[in-house]
Amino acid sequence: MDRDEAQSRMQEIQRIMERATLWTILPGASAILGGLMVLGGCLVSYLMFRSVRGPSFTPIDFAALLDLSLNGQIAFCVMWFLIGAGGVVAEIHFAQLQAKRQGISPKGRSARLAFFSLTPSVVVAMVLTVKFLSPTQMRAQEIQYIAPVWMMLYGTGVYTAGLFSVRAPRTLGMAFIAAGVASIMFLQPYGVITAALSFGWFHIAFGLYVISKRRAGLST
Amino acid sequence: MNDSIKPDDIDPIIHERVRLAIVSALAVAPEMSFNELKATLGLSDGNLSAHATSLQKAGYVEIAKTFKGRRPYTALRLTAVGQEAFRRYVETLRKIIEKGAQPRDEQK
Repeated sequence: MDRDEAQSRMQEIQRIMERATLWTILPGASAILGGLMVLGGCLVSYLMFRSVRGPSFTPIDFAALLDLSLNGQIAFCVMWFLIGAGGVVAEIHFAQLQAKRQGISPKGRSARLAFFSLTPSVVVAMVLTVKFLSPTQMRAQEIQYIAPVWMMLYGTGVYTAGLFSVRAPRTLGMAFIAAGVASIMFLQPYGVITAALSFGWFHIAFGLYVISKRRAGLST
Repeated sequence: MNDSIKPDDIDPIIHERVRLAIVSALAVAPEMSFNELKATLGLSDGNLSAHATSLQKAGYVEIAKTFKGRRPYTALRLTAVGQEAFRRYVETLRKIIEKGAQPRDEQK
């Protein structure tokens, strides 16, 4: 075996180890925390909408945002922005902790691939959200699209990121896509419920699954 | 210390690419199911099964077949012998890279 082949073998070993360890650095705790934050956000949204509930809106329809005062709308947007940002920060923090515990780099090839897979979908979702919430555009239907669009695009990103890992993230991605499709096709007036179910409970269930698998060894 | 690399230093069981991939994955995961390993490495059932059996015969891998509910469940884990063999193999690769060395009979 010459030096080039030995180097190639080492790179192959490193690549496989990263792919296998991506599973082990999946932060179950951050998924649960993110899910709980979303449930909290949905509860606050429900209470905000209930306080201004008009005859045409129910408190589980994000379109009720139109009935809020300008300050209420701003507070609503800031709250969801903070929930999203908090989720990302928690994800990075817990992934780093987990990687440190495993003695591997949190910036390994697989983690980078996963990051770059997820980013385009999230950016597109953010652009569409800004478009839907722009003052000249803000109509009930556009606002109702926001949650399903996030579900489908986030699901696409998670599914793609899961291509570099094991089955669980791909299953989560497919669940988000399915929830988004159902939500945009049939459940538009129930955005608060579908957001709580998907971004809330799906994340909590995924986090519990990851933690249980890690405790039991890596079995599927 | 004699750092020269002999042909015997390269373990033929681990040297095979698929088996190396299996051992590499199991080196960082305490246990993986057959399906999980298959998905992680992109292998077919037959390919993974054949190579896992070779590793088991060499004493490098433990294969536990049980049932989860009604479904058969196969778990694989690296044995202490397998871990040591993998450690030696990686060490050999490292020596070759550092020294640009080749096993003696290949150098001839």
